[in-house]
Amino acid sequence: MDKKNNWKAWLYLLPAIVILLIFTVWPIINTVRISFLNDYGTLSSVGGKKFSFGIDNYKNVVEYSGFINCLSNTLLLCVLTVPISTMLALIIAVALNSIKFIRRTMQTIFFLPYVTNSIAIGMVFMAMFSMIGLKVDGEPMSIGIINSVIEAFGGTRINWVNAGSSKVANMTVLIIYIVWNALPFKILVLLGGLQSVNKQYYEAAKVDGTSRFRTFWRITVPMLSPMIAYVVITGFIGGFKEYSSIVGIFGENMGPVGDAGSLNTMVGFIYDNINTDRQGRASAAALILFLIIFAVTMVNMYVSKKKVHY
Amino acid sequence: MKKKFGAILMAGLMACTMTAGIVFSTGCGSDVAGDFVMPEGGFDTQKKIEITFYHTMGKNLRGVLNKYIADFNKLYPNITIKDEAIGKYDDVFNQISTEITVGDQPNVAYCYPDHVAFYNQAGVVQTVDAFLPGSPYADMKVTRADNTEDYYCITQEEKDNFIDIYYNEGATFGDDQMYVMPFSKSIEVLYYNKTYFEEHNITVPNTWDEMEQVCKTLKELDPACTPLGYDSEANWFITMCEQHESPYTSVSGEHFLFDNATNRAFVEKFKGWYKNGYVTTQEISGAYTSNLFKEKKSYMSIGSSAGAANQVPAVVNGVAPFEVGIARIPQVNPEKPKVISQGPSVCIFKKNDPQEVLASWLFVKYLTTSVKFQAQFSSVSGYVPVLNSVLQDETYADLLNGANGYADGIAYLSAKACLDMANAGNLFVSPAFNGSSKARTQVGILMQSAFLESKTIDEAFKKAIEECRY
Amino acid sequence: MADNMNDINENEVTPEEVSTEVKNVSGDTVNAAKVMKKKDIGEVTKRQTAMKVAVQVGLYIFLGIMAIIVLFPFYWMIISSLKTLDEYNASVPTLWPEEFRWANYSDAFAAGGLNLGRLFLNTCIVGIVSTILSLIITVLAAFAFARLEFKGKNALFAALLATMMIPGELFTITNYVTVSEFGWKNTYTVLIVPFLVSVFYIYLLRQNFLQIPNELYLAAKVDGTSDLKYLWKVMIPLAAPTLVSITILKMMGSWNSYIWPRLVARDTAHTLITVGLRQFDFSVPGRPDMINYPAQMAAVVLITIPLLIVFLCFRKYIMKGVSKSGIKG
Repeated sequence: MDKKNNWKAWLYLLPAIVILLIFTVWPIINTVRISFLNDYGTLSSVGGKKFSFGIDNYKNVVEYSGFINCLSNTLLLCVLTVPISTMLALIIAVALNSIKFIRRTMQTIFFLPYVTNSIAIGMVFMAMFSMIGLKVDGEPMSIGIINSVIEAFGGTRINWVNAGSSKVANMTVLIIYIVWNALPFKILVLLGGLQSVNKQYYEAAKVDGTSRFRTFWRITVPMLSPMIAYVVITGFIGGFKEYSSIVGIFGENMGPVGDAGSLNTMVGFIYDNINTDRQGRASAAALILFLIIFAVTMVNMYVSKKKVHY
Repeated sequence: MKKKFGAILMAGLMACTMTAGIVFSTGCGSDVAGDFVMPEGGFDTQKKIEITFYHTMGKNLRGVLNKYIADFNKLYPNITIKDEAIGKYDDVFNQISTEITVGDQPNVAYCYPDHVAFYNQAGVVQTVDAFLPGSPYADMKVTRADNTEDYYCITQEEKDNFIDIYYNEGATFGDDQMYVMPFSKSIEVLYYNKTYFEEHNITVPNTWDEMEQVCKTLKELDPACTPLGYDSEANWFITMCEQHESPYTSVSGEHFLFDNATNRAFVEKFKGWYKNGYVTTQEISGAYTSNLFKEKKSYMSIGSSAGAANQVPAVVNGVAPFEVGIARIPQVNPEKPKVISQGPSVCIFKKNDPQEVLASWLFVKYLTTSVKFQAQFSSVSGYVPVLNSVLQDETYADLLNGANGYADGIAYLSAKACLDMANAGNLFVSPAFNGSSKARTQVGILMQSAFLESKTIDEAFKKAIEECRY
Repeated sequence: MADNMNDINENEVTPEEVSTEVKNVSGDTVNAAKVMKKKDIGEVTKRQTAMKVAVQVGLYIFLGIMAIIVLFPFYWMIISSLKTLDEYNASVPTLWPEEFRWANYSDAFAAGGLNLGRLFLNTCIVGIVSTILSLIITVLAAFAFARLEFKGKNALFAALLATMMIPGELFTITNYVTVSEFGWKNTYTVLIVPFLVSVFYIYLLRQNFLQIPNELYLAAKVDGTSDLKYLWKVMIPLAAPTLVSITILKMMGSWNSYIWPRLVARDTAHTLITVGLRQFDFSVPGRPDMINYPAQMAAVVLITIPLLIVFLCFRKYIMKGVSKSGIKG
């Protein structure tokens, strides 16, 4: 190993490390400390209340009746959305990269979701899935775009998100929403990666008359594998922190009307506790979540070490 | 050597941050005074003082506020009022909750009572008992810039001018101390389709039994309708507890008392109404109850008086589709009517400098006791004024005379109805403590799951209590 | 913990793994060609041409459908900004405005007044400065992780990744206390510095750098090219698309950030656009409790469109630069 690189590398990393230490590492240390102070609350702490050292917060989190539900929702959403969105984004990115006519226009179109306000996205989902004016004894005022399409093809309408809807329907909508939300970023990253791939690989393949499918698996995927690994690993890390999509569709009660909390996730639980000045519990839950994400990331890393081509 | 450089650097930085952290954690936090003690010589009219005021007002309301801030400045030129529109109520709440951690909270803020209970875990809310009639400072006066004198405290006369329920709300925190002053209020009212009611000779229901009959009649007349839309399940539950004189929550001891036979009975009854198609709520129907009302899918709608403008249908080809009427919500016992009242108050935060607290108080006193301000603010905001004598204000009285059930007069019609109820002593407020907002959320959820039968009534109550206590 | 970190060695690229067939920077022979050698070059028939056309058509149909899906919210944002308040508030949403109300845009201007320009300026300053600084820091860190060998590299990288695994909401109060102690409130510093470093971007760029064959670097070392020069001349141009992505994300971040700026910088000189927008008064004159949402949406469109135009020009310019300099480095 080149010893000279040692200090040089640290020098390159210095600005990043200094800022991270102050604005990320220090808050994390604080989070760990707070998680071991029984029933810690920031405001009561300011008010002069003293807290004993212990593991009550961890106990409280694990003993919460909705804990298993939060955890399983989190895991389920992660496991289902990451592969779907990654595959879809990969196909779109490759397609965008392999067309010639109106290529730039197409790329611009897929870039537009970035500058779309999140309020608009929420409204679109309402229009698509939500039934409006639901009644016990009659037809609703509107059944939503998706149900109209389903009925046009002779299917029966589904209560996707409204009062009394099933968890399977709720989860389906959530998955669509999350994948939809994640797509633009993943396409952007994969497209960027594709454009860094040396064109000559493709030219060589062309000369050889290799089929598209083979080119995709033998050149595109291996050359793009670092970016795919990135998208999957960060997708999982982000997926474990899923929260805002559920609030976006189902509101603060984290579930359809009549079944509040049924779709709650770990971060949803953490938010609830922050908002009621229970930072101790929130911190403990965050660290439990951290251990889970860490374990999953290690597995991901192990797999990608075997598969990723550098 | 060089190999270790990184590690040493890392360790060094770590140590620096840690030490810095320790300094921070001791540096911040509680530096607040106890109950207010008047500084010697009273208010210092020479000292420059800046007061920050957090609120949620839009441009129009801010225009009114700024006019009165200017007037206030003529009396106290040394006080600068910095008013900041933070956003919505939740934004103000989150902002202040964080600022308290470093002692940077504003001087004065818009608040709901449960926010105050939350802030006060840090002991930062200034009680105003020192400025009420009967305080040791009740006879002290301050000389203002126009050479007039004024009491520091509100006088008995000023106190009596407040609508009782609003004034008393400031002391519902369980320790009899006064934490907030009322600012502007709203009340839950019953909107009904007056045109339709008159056409079919229907009397506006005064009790819940009458309401059931009216729903039945309406359902027979128009089977496709849902006669009544109730905006908020939580308000409904809390109001019913109050009307039945059955426990809901308590500020002291065991907080959550709402699981009892009376409450289970009314939930069971209203569930029956829902099943008959008599009633729906905003959340359950997935449409604003005001929209159902405007679009004639329902003929009655119970919601906030401040939202009156939203209950009026749009004019089509120069003709208003129908006239809106406003009435008191139905009662269990019409002899002792109970109607829920909500809306912002203002609270004062503790500061190290008593002059700053005093200046904050003088400002709050000026705004809350000024009839002119209350009148103008109410006429622009659609909220109900907190002073009785606002009715005597000429401009406001004129506006109230123009009250009608159409777009241009609905806000005044609602204000009028509210003032009548306030003067008749029909209003109540639910007690505030740390956890009261959770109880609110949970009883709303309870009603929803009971109506939709996703849980039995027994399960729904048990679940709500469990969540509240967690 | 250190033991587990060995798994992160995925980025270790030993010279043995690198195909020896890549001879120089311009790379006239590549190992990919070798993989494909079994195929007969001359076997291009009419059937294949037909297939090719079919595949192209299929691609366009697929992209077209996906485009409609991802564009729908953008479309919704535009039509919502043109509806009348009554139409917007109607229970059943309409897919196309019954009546176009362009006055929403003038209402949006009226609600914001002259503040709009100032908010825009503040946001531009914060956005541009933080993007530039963030790019520098990210490039340096990503280069160190992708190309340099140093002790503790994998452990450090794992630690960095680990920081992403804790929900950031828990950091707010501690960071608020920190910046208050620093006396940074109501400064540009507080809007820029705390979020300069994103592990998310460092990781992204490191992966992109790893796509670039290591032998380019080894060759440059033999030539005696300095690291910085190599970084500037080879790595950055090759990773340009990813750098553009980071720029866009970072700029959008400044544009959309709300909670932190509201907490720490609310004076006129430092208020950012999203914070300011929430303070605008969109209430309907004479009906104070009604919010004119279409006008609010129009304001959102107004602040978004210039950003979009700048990005499109910028992206085009960068991509041109890249293709001119040639991927060859």
